[in-house]
Amino acid sequence: MSVFLEVSIQGVLMGLTYALLALGLTVIFGVMDMVNFAHGEFLMIGMYAAYLTAAHVFPDPLVGVPVAGLIGLVLGALSYRLLVRRLLQGPTIAQIFGTFGLMLFLRYGALAVFGPNLRSAPGGLVVGQRLVLGGLVLDGAKVTAAAGSALLFALIYWFLQRTRVGLGLRATAAHREAARYMGVDTDAMNSIGWAIGGATAGMAGALLVNFYYVSPTVGMVFAMITFTTVALGGFGSVPGAFVAGIIVGVVEAVTAQYFSPQLKLAVIYLVFFLVVLLRPHGLLGAR
Amino acid sequence: MNRGRWAVLSLIVLAALAAVPAAAQPAVRIGVILPLSGPLAPTGQELRRGYELMVDIVNNVHPELAALGLEVAGWEGIPSLGGAKIELVFADSRGDPAIGADMARRLIMEENVVGLTGAYQSGVTQTVATVAERMGVPLVNSDSSSPTLTMLGYQWFWRVTPHDRIFDDDLFNLLDGLVAGQAPGVGPVPKESLSRLAIVAENTEFGVASGDDIRNRLAPERGYDVVDYIQYTSNSPDLTSETTRLVNSGADAYLFVSYVSDAILFMRTLKLLGASPTLIWGQDAGFTNPDFVDAIGPDLHGVLTRSLFISKIGQVKPIAAAINELYRERHGKDLSEESARETLGVQVWAHALQRAGSTDPAALKEALDNLYIPGEQLITPWEGVQFGAGRPGEMNQNIHATGMIGQYQYNPDTGEVQLEIVYPFDFATADMVHPFPGWN
Repeated sequence: MSVFLEVSIQGVLMGLTYALLALGLTVIFGVMDMVNFAHGEFLMIGMYAAYLTAAHVFPDPLVGVPVAGLIGLVLGALSYRLLVRRLLQGPTIAQIFGTFGLMLFLRYGALAVFGPNLRSAPGGLVVGQRLVLGGLVLDGAKVTAAAGSALLFALIYWFLQRTRVGLGLRATAAHREAARYMGVDTDAMNSIGWAIGGATAGMAGALLVNFYYVSPTVGMVFAMITFTTVALGGFGSVPGAFVAGIIVGVVEAVTAQYFSPQLKLAVIYLVFFLVVLLRPHGLLGAR
Repeated sequence: MNRGRWAVLSLIVLAALAAVPAAAQPAVRIGVILPLSGPLAPTGQELRRGYELMVDIVNNVHPELAALGLEVAGWEGIPSLGGAKIELVFADSRGDPAIGADMARRLIMEENVVGLTGAYQSGVTQTVATVAERMGVPLVNSDSSSPTLTMLGYQWFWRVTPHDRIFDDDLFNLLDGLVAGQAPGVGPVPKESLSRLAIVAENTEFGVASGDDIRNRLAPERGYDVVDYIQYTSNSPDLTSETTRLVNSGADAYLFVSYVSDAILFMRTLKLLGASPTLIWGQDAGFTNPDFVDAIGPDLHGVLTRSLFISKIGQVKPIAAAINELYRERHGKDLSEESARETLGVQVWAHALQRAGSTDPAALKEALDNLYIPGEQLITPWEGVQFGAGRPGEMNQNIHATGMIGQYQYNPDTGEVQLEIVYPFDFATADMVHPFPGWN
């Protein structure tokens, strides 16, 4: 198999993981026009939920996926109910600094509770499993995360397009005032948007635990690439996040192989810059 | 009656005077600058425990250590200064070079210290050394490893510990030793099986300085070929492409300069890709971190890492075992790289004071310049402590300082992963596992 193909497939796998990280962020933005800076920390809490489940309940982080999803769901809904709803009454800058504050609170709260150590899953069905296809060696854990990502994207897309609540969410995203006049409970839609954001971040975290370490600051590692993915795909666009994630993953892998690993982030941001220059709303963003 | 009272009073006064030791010497004050708060606070505390351990050994009698040949353990203070005790005055640099320099000034001018030691981070040590140089006060450093510190021509700075270039030298001494058949339990290894090196280094000062030193100086000097030099950004979300490139480089030996998070990702991905180098070596940092050992576990079998100090040396060096035991009694754990190195700083100060027989700066400088402590008295595997030029342009560097290289070895019977010493060869605690056994 050609090196290019091999590298590209590795890139697609990681890209689907990036897409999954971006999913929750773009849903929240779509519904509320608001960036959740604490998204990386939601991910981190999902990772701890799965890690602790694997360490103390059943020795496989996959069992932690629903647990982390549920914890993320509650965390997202509570964040909206207790914090964001109040921030909406203030100026835009308060919303930005509000979720920024939430990020710091969660990160350093985790540091106080869990300590600074890096932890790793003790084992599991897909942990460290090699999948050999032809001449290609793939990480079973990454394939699982990529499959989980595709599944969740399909589920969220179906939910938004085919259910009554999904219609309400889309209506709120399209025009908040008009939606409210039509009888949509936009406050409830916000709450649901945050719950979906938290739940998908939590599940993404649980899938990551199969091949990534957990630490209180791990959210930072993924935050930048997640924001780039969302912006590249178009703020608020679910299919956009999916496509952008794959692009980011492939560009990253190909740059590292053919140019220099040091340049991979620079090239991703260059692609991002060019797309935004030519299409200011991102690849699949509305308007 | 009056007279009688006076007599009794006089007797009491006399008795009280007699109770005060006739020759009580004021303590010799040494200023210690460390990062005791801020992000490095846990390290700072660990360093401090090392200083305090050796000061206790110098100030109080420790017959069990003296019997093993540790001179200072029998002194009970500094004999040539009438038994004066050493008193450490700690100051907190908060890890900031400017604050470090302020602390040095304060210690010299307000606390009347006769000399300084510290300050761990090379950047802080450098500003402290500038103050020491200007004020003509000796600074003995046992914890900073930037090679430039002993290249600046400072007259009042002495470094006990090895610097980063010495650590890099150790790696090539090990490689050459393998070829020459000196490594314990391994016969001579053909150089062709080791000569192609790949360096993987994080792209800040730590990684690049070491990576460049290996590629530009040591590899050409010792006849090795660097086939790839991969610089990467630490804390990246994914290192698969870097690892794939490393495996595709076809190198015999993988040399890592990495922090713990990256070290974990690299090892896991290498295993997944079924990499089969003949040797894997890490430049301390991530490779000696306990979280790294927990995360990789038995898969570490055969991986090498450099380290300044590995407490297992006690198995082959009784004095190290005895000092470590004293530390264990106090803190419930073995000496670490950090605490171990600071015991040496105090030891050097004690010998310098003893030799000078005075606290006069010129006398102390003269004593440090001509100091010699034999290797039998050190917890490290060095031949001794003696300051000079280890290489051109250098001064006041301990010319006998070396690092250690440890190898993780998994014992299936106990289920434990132990870090065994394999270099220096004379201090090996186990046979070396070579070539790297792979992960099958």
